[in-house]
Amino acid sequence: MGNGERIAVTIDADLKELIPGFLQARHDDVAVIGASLEKGDWNAMYIAGHSMKGSGGGYGFDEITAIGAAIETAAKAKDAAGVKHGVARLSDYLQRIDITYA
Amino acid sequence: MGILIVDDSKESRDLLKTFLKGAGYKDIITAASAQEAFEALGLKGEEHRHGVTFRVILLDVVMPEMNGIEACRIIREDAHLADTPVIMVTAVGEQDSLNQAFEAGATDYITKPVSKVELLARVRSVLRLYQEMERRKVREKELIETLKQLSEANRVLTQLSAQDGLTGLANRRHFDENFSAEWRRAMRDRQPLSVVMADIDHFKLYNDHYGHQGGDDCLRQVAAIIGQVVRRPGDIAARYGGEEFVLVLPDTPLEGGIKIAEEVAAAVRTLKLPHEKSPVVPYVTLSMGVACMVPDRSKEMKELIERADRALYAAKRQGRNRVKAAEDHSGIN
Repeated sequence: MGNGERIAVTIDADLKELIPGFLQARHDDVAVIGASLEKGDWNAMYIAGHSMKGSGGGYGFDEITAIGAAIETAAKAKDAAGVKHGVARLSDYLQRIDITYA
Repeated sequence: MGILIVDDSKESRDLLKTFLKGAGYKDIITAASAQEAFEALGLKGEEHRHGVTFRVILLDVVMPEMNGIEACRIIREDAHLADTPVIMVTAVGEQDSLNQAFEAGATDYITKPVSKVELLARVRSVLRLYQEMERRKVREKELIETLKQLSEANRVLTQLSAQDGLTGLANRRHFDENFSAEWRRAMRDRQPLSVVMADIDHFKLYNDHYGHQGGDDCLRQVAAIIGQVVRRPGDIAARYGGEEFVLVLPDTPLEGGIKIAEEVAAAVRTLKLPHEKSPVVPYVTLSMGVACMVPDRSKEMKELIERADRALYAAKRQGRNRVKAAEDHSGIN
């Protein structure tokens, strides 16, 4: 997935200090959701997706909200492929973003 | 106090706090659960510390353990927090819960993902509402206080407008207003109404000799005696003019009026207020005329006053220091 094109994201300067922690938590999500998937812990996947959905756009990452919503929906449907796809989308997105603060 | 943010997600708490701080809001407290929020609000523990208020509470709807709707309901149950604005923070797609939130007393809501512009606009607007409400409460309190003062001032004014400033007895105005009421009442009840006119003997000589200050003192002391004797509810004792007093005695036949007049005269004699220049006795004395009528439509109330006045004149003519009854006391059985 993805061809390495960079994605420019503009973030509210007020949030500058919060962003590294926020992005680290999303990297952690990639691992956590992967592990939950192996254990079949749909609830944990649902919660992770739900919280991503709730916070992503607030921090300026609308794509993370969209990915979170997809994972939430897939987890609810116990759709492993859907969750996997969401995690891959997240991992890809995290690698391609270039942040500017304004 | 400032703003309370209640959200189980640290990321959400941090985000809200950062946006609010960036807009200049201070004293921002965060709570990770309803229980933590109750603690911050003083709703927990033995000493239910009431009155820990925030200017606004941001409350997440979906939280483990107790959700935001239940928490809102509990916050609203506290009298001190009943008016504190509560803004619910809810994810898109959770709008179903909004009805419940508003039923639980929420003031407003914002959706997650939170937009900074929306957040600040909502907070500003509920704060304005809150301030307006507080201002109105203060104004209401002031208004109630003013009304209280006004009604007290009215009470005092009413009393003052009915009172003779020098003697403290009823004044002429009060007499005029109430005598007609007593007249009509006596007519309705077919009861005798007695009037006593009283005059301090040779008061002009008293004034000339003791000065106006002395004259005023004399009036005050005689008035005090009258006030002590005439004290049945409904009785009126008033200063009628200079040194003249009038008593209105409802449900009182002539004999009763004479008795009251004699009592007043005796009490004044007992005072033994020196009146050196009096040709009668060297003390202050009263001349009094008593009249009584059972009012009916064929009679005029001024007639009763005139009869009492004529009796007073007779008392004076016969040497003062005495009580005389009107001779033509028609209407008395």
